[in-house]
Amino acid sequence: MQHNLAITPSPHVRSGATTRRIMQDVCIALAPAGIASVILFGGHAAVIIAVCVLTCVLTEYVYQRLMNQRVTAGDWSAVVTGLLLAYNIPANAPIWIPIVGSVFAILIVKQLFGGIGSNFMNPALTARAVLFVSWSSIMTAYPNTVFMTGGVDTVSSATPLAALGKVFTGAEGASLADVGLADLFLGNCAGVLGETCKLALILGGIYLFIRKVIDWRIPVCMIGTVAVMYLLTSGFNAELTLKELLSGGLMLGAIFMATDYATSPQTNLGRIIFGVGCGLLLFVIRAYASYPEGCSFAILFMNVCSPLIDRWTAPTPFGEVKQHG
Amino acid sequence: MFGKHLFPGGIHPAEGTNGKAVNQRNAITELPAPKRVVIPLSQHIGAPAKAIVKKGDRVLMGQMIGEAGGFVSAPVHASVSGIVADIVPVTMFNGSEITAIVIENDFRDEWAPLDAPADPESLSPAETLQRIRQAGIVGMGGATFPTAVKLTIAPDKHFEKLVINGAECEPYLTADHRLMLEQADAIIDAVSLILRIFSVPEAIIGVEENKPDAIDALRRAASGNPAIRVQALPVRYPQGGEKQLIHALTGRTVPAGKLPIETGCVVMNAGTAFAVHEALREGKPLIRRVTTVGGLVAKPNNWLVRIGTPVRELLRASGGTQKGTRTLISGGPMMGTAFTEIDIPVTKGCSGILALGREAIDPEESPCIRCGRCMRACPMNLQPVRMDHAIRARRFDEADKLGVMNCIECGACTFVCPATRMLTQSFRAGKRIVTIRRNQQKAREEAEKAALAAKAAAEQSKTDGKEA
Amino acid sequence: MAKKATVGKTFFNGLVTENPTFTLMLGMCPTLGVTTAAWNGIYMGLATTFVLVCSNLFISLLRKIIPDKVRIPCYIIVIASFVTMVDLFMQAFMPDMRAILGSYIPLIVVNCIIFARAESFAAKNGPHLALADGLGMGLGFTISITCLAAIREIIGSGKFFGMEILPGYEPMAIMTKVPGGFITLGIMMILVNAAKKAITRRRAARKEAAA
Repeated sequence: MQHNLAITPSPHVRSGATTRRIMQDVCIALAPAGIASVILFGGHAAVIIAVCVLTCVLTEYVYQRLMNQRVTAGDWSAVVTGLLLAYNIPANAPIWIPIVGSVFAILIVKQLFGGIGSNFMNPALTARAVLFVSWSSIMTAYPNTVFMTGGVDTVSSATPLAALGKVFTGAEGASLADVGLADLFLGNCAGVLGETCKLALILGGIYLFIRKVIDWRIPVCMIGTVAVMYLLTSGFNAELTLKELLSGGLMLGAIFMATDYATSPQTNLGRIIFGVGCGLLLFVIRAYASYPEGCSFAILFMNVCSPLIDRWTAPTPFGEVKQHG
Repeated sequence: MFGKHLFPGGIHPAEGTNGKAVNQRNAITELPAPKRVVIPLSQHIGAPAKAIVKKGDRVLMGQMIGEAGGFVSAPVHASVSGIVADIVPVTMFNGSEITAIVIENDFRDEWAPLDAPADPESLSPAETLQRIRQAGIVGMGGATFPTAVKLTIAPDKHFEKLVINGAECEPYLTADHRLMLEQADAIIDAVSLILRIFSVPEAIIGVEENKPDAIDALRRAASGNPAIRVQALPVRYPQGGEKQLIHALTGRTVPAGKLPIETGCVVMNAGTAFAVHEALREGKPLIRRVTTVGGLVAKPNNWLVRIGTPVRELLRASGGTQKGTRTLISGGPMMGTAFTEIDIPVTKGCSGILALGREAIDPEESPCIRCGRCMRACPMNLQPVRMDHAIRARRFDEADKLGVMNCIECGACTFVCPATRMLTQSFRAGKRIVTIRRNQQKAREEAEKAALAAKAAAEQSKTDGKEA
Repeated sequence: MAKKATVGKTFFNGLVTENPTFTLMLGMCPTLGVTTAAWNGIYMGLATTFVLVCSNLFISLLRKIIPDKVRIPCYIIVIASFVTMVDLFMQAFMPDMRAILGSYIPLIVVNCIIFARAESFAAKNGPHLALADGLGMGLGFTISITCLAAIREIIGSGKFFGMEILPGYEPMAIMTKVPGGFITLGIMMILVNAAKKAITRRRAARKEAAA
């Protein structure tokens, strides 16, 4: 009758959710965008994705072994970082770009600050920012897709964002018709490899939402804020607004980067503030700053603010009510 | 449908083998009295009872064998008739050793003379309290706070609402469910009596909506009394937490660090109400209770069991534990206590005995990923992740400021944590340390005050001397 | 301090034990601002060393004359005089370097290292010790920022003291920008302090074994 009974403190049941499971869910959600990138940009996109993922996992493993830490490289979080970083690199970048970026993301941004959960900025985004500032000519040489004239080996002359920017500022000869809505949505446009296919990204987002990995607040507030700002400043030009929403890294950033647990607020109100802040910054950088795209910088800036936001929006314990009223 | 008041957070724990779905169909069955019962003198919060029998005495069923050891205490009664075989310390579920009276059953079930009141409706509040006290009734949901003490309302407080807790939100447990279904009239009777005697205007019975049959039974039984309302509640753990229940039923919020009476409510478990009915109508003390046996057992059931019956008997009657059992739990899986010694007797607060498998073994902790799930699950609106960090870094003042003392140890945060961190466990330790530190602080302040007063007095006498 | 301070020990203290960059974390402005190339580091370091040595010496000599209440203005006058000398000297004889270092040369006046040493050391010790301290701290600072600058120069522009050493290398531009300074400084600080800790531990172990 006795079966080696164990004594454990309550609670005695768990939900079964694990870090690993969550990270695997994110990977599943990122898969459609990866497949789309291979279709759009060919085999080199697959190579970059593979190199990023491998380097990230390997860096984490080696670092933890060297530092005599418990090896958590198997928890899939490095895979997520690798995928996100790869999606932020142009498909025709030389192979050392993803390697340097991955090592930087995992070693400096993640592990040196204490590993999973302790980093204060999103590793993939920080690495992208470093690559972008260091080798901007490589990182902004967006190739054409295989379906466009010239194919992958040619560098696109203008990204949709640049074209839309001209329309926004009212430059001569610029027209909204230069940018096709269907091309934007399906990803047949220049950009870094994972950001172009909005359909795939939105599908991934819906999966994450259904699996309760992310909640609606950050993505909806971020995208919503950008939409409202463009509507207001363009005189309610719905077409321009919609095309702005579907271009650049907004979808990738709002759904996958801004929702990173460790670097976004945990409170519900905090997530709304965070999302709105990301959206506002993104709009300001896109519309008025010298960079054409500001998604990563907007999110990184809000990453740094998120501990503060958490503190401002800390919940009041149930029952700690004001006695009057 | 449910009233608009939802407490923050909450979870929906899933069940394994033989959970509520199975066990709610099993009618309460009386477990034959065992050869000997072991009746611990402390089955409640407060001072232990004092034994008033000695080895070799013959005792009758329902005879008081331990008298209350103070105001916050409860007497214990013999649950069988027979001979006192021994008075020895026994190990309890939580590992503590408590003196217990062992009675050898003579299987005659001879009742001690029962002192049933002729007309319970016309009892005075004081008399009622005395009877509830003498019957040894304590909170049967598991908290085991003496019911008479709870019903003793301080003169500056108002007893406006009686809240009956029939939520039974813990997974697996079905004892209250069956009791409410089978003994709806008795429970409603106890509620009516308390309303009348203590002149309370209203009673609300909260039952989770996954027990529609119990809700129907209670509504039918209460149809004659407009002061009693049966309210269906959403299924959400910890719906049966005192503060959560009051909020859900009345919309009132118990202030942090205060008791429910601050909101004019007294919360009583459905099982306790049944015990009150037996004490006031028939003069019977609390010597039996309904205990669910579930999980990895061959025949899960709801047993009407004599207090003092060893768990071994319960498990045997339920067909024994099955292969794969890794933990035995007294109470529910969220807040119950794991134990290994199966000769431990069933006590007044033991609502269930569960056999759980591997899922009950704590997995290894991994680093927090700051997903915020614990915060969303907390029914007290706390920030488990920050409190846990503070406690592990031994920053107890910070933990106190974050409100760790409000933690009701419901386990919701630990349940949802994907990093499988032991949050509730950390808060349990943290709360103890914060309490100790608060007491030390108080003692220090009092000592300082005393020293200052002594100094002032000395100076006063000096000046007095000068003046003289 | 239990042991009596000697000239050698004081010098070594500034050079290694209390290295201004990696231990005291003083003078962060020029440390991050000018260390984009190794030569910048050397010149900035030497200029600071000169001011540090001279001001330490003079403040130590004048320590009994300077009234306590107005000591800060007095220090500033002493320091500013030497900074002006360095500034004019560089403008006259090495205008290119002066142009690169820019406002960081006049800003030596408010460099924390110089103030901290004046206040906490020179004002309390004799001129020989103050001289040794100034020299040690100055050279410690020079070596630290030159190393920092050399690393940033190699990674950030593929050069070492201005010479192309990595043909075909795509320079990592961020290293010559301010974030690169922070990152390099942070990593160097980790390494230097880890090494120091390891040495201390080994020394303690050896002492224990001897005892």
